[in-house]
Amino acid sequence: MNCIGADQRPLSTGISRRNFLKVCTAAAVCLGLPESFGPKLAMAAEKAAQRPPVIWLSAQECTGCTETLLRATHPTLETLLLDLISLEYHETLNAGAGHQAEEFRKNSIAANAGKFILVVDGSIPVKDGGIYCKIAGRTALAILEETAPQAAAVIAIGSCASWGGVPSASPNPTGATPVHEILKGKNIAVVNIPGCPPNPYNFLSTVLYFLTFNKLPELDAKMRPKFAYGRLIHENCERRPHFDAGRFAERFGDEGHRQGYCLYKLGCKGPETFNNCPTLLFGDVGSGAWPVGIGHPCFGCSEQGVGFELPLHSPARPLYITPPTQFSPATPAPGQGGSKLAAAIGGAAIGAGAVAAGRYLGNKDNEGE
Amino acid sequence: MAKRITIDPVTRIEGHLRIDCEVSGGKVTNAWSSGQMWRGFEVILQGRDPRDAWIFTQRFCGV
Repeated sequence: MNCIGADQRPLSTGISRRNFLKVCTAAAVCLGLPESFGPKLAMAAEKAAQRPPVIWLSAQECTGCTETLLRATHPTLETLLLDLISLEYHETLNAGAGHQAEEFRKNSIAANAGKFILVVDGSIPVKDGGIYCKIAGRTALAILEETAPQAAAVIAIGSCASWGGVPSASPNPTGATPVHEILKGKNIAVVNIPGCPPNPYNFLSTVLYFLTFNKLPELDAKMRPKFAYGRLIHENCERRPHFDAGRFAERFGDEGHRQGYCLYKLGCKGPETFNNCPTLLFGDVGSGAWPVGIGHPCFGCSEQGVGFELPLHSPARPLYITPPTQFSPATPAPGQGGSKLAAAIGGAAIGAGAVAAGRYLGNKDNEGE
Repeated sequence: MAKRITIDPVTRIEGHLRIDCEVSGGKVTNAWSSGQMWRGFEVILQGRDPRDAWIFTQRFCGV
């Protein structure tokens, strides 16, 4: 890898070895694996006798999850398709259409039974026999039920496939159902990558992990990979210091909003949404490229019971973190510093603390006696 | 005798589209297009805070 020349050796498809290793190292780091795992991921992807076949089924979706993949740059979609996986069927990307595409799907499933990765985007409507989503005259429900048992693993990409998403919003007119619920009790490995859209790297890293270790990454109770959904957005938010200091935007466009203060009071759902948006960001365009970074409250798109359920500007119900009952003014006048009143209150607080500490010590002494 | 040609799914587009054509004497004499998926945004939006509407409606299509 350090040898000049060898690292530039192109792979069969034209991508340079250096770029290929970069892709795999980035994925390893995203997974929380040491950087040294990059070459291991690369080896696994290269050594696979056949690139792992992927069948992508679309149900009640908006193609946003496919779009998010199109915008990935490490790897780019073409690297993913030409070097890492073999995409056998995808409605938006298929060259063929109609019965050609359907026949290819059937043949590929038969030829790769037990080996292919099944990706599903979109929820599965079950009301009225599933008629609200049909492909080639058959319901998405029937196609999923027929295909999933033959897959090595199922990846539900996006909030719709993971927990129902937009179509399942009350009153759920079509009986939109998440993939894992359709497949419940069938002993099929399902991993959820929620988000609307999800970050492409959470998906790509899961695929690469599967290629390397031949198993799914560690999942939480909601079947989400822990490397991506292990922490609240609030925990890693770049505006978190403002929350802790009581500096808030009170209205869109007010002084606090312009200063980049915390968006909790505008309804940010970061305190109850598990995702890695603040650290992974979107679009590969640099810092700040995520909803809170550009000044809009998180609306919890990836969290069941939050996104598309709670009103946009209602305050979040923080998990772990209790917000203070009182906040200092968001925008002190420039150059004023702390007021005399604040200093007095602070002094009083220190005094009260000292009294409390004294009592505590006193109690300890009493206990000693 | 008219011949019926059905293309379903139409690929490389967003969504689930089906095209039915009727061909007679080498010419298309009639054609139908139909969306094969419905999510019910019109129903979901009823009774909600208007300020929330964009969150839903922008998800008609993610392209």
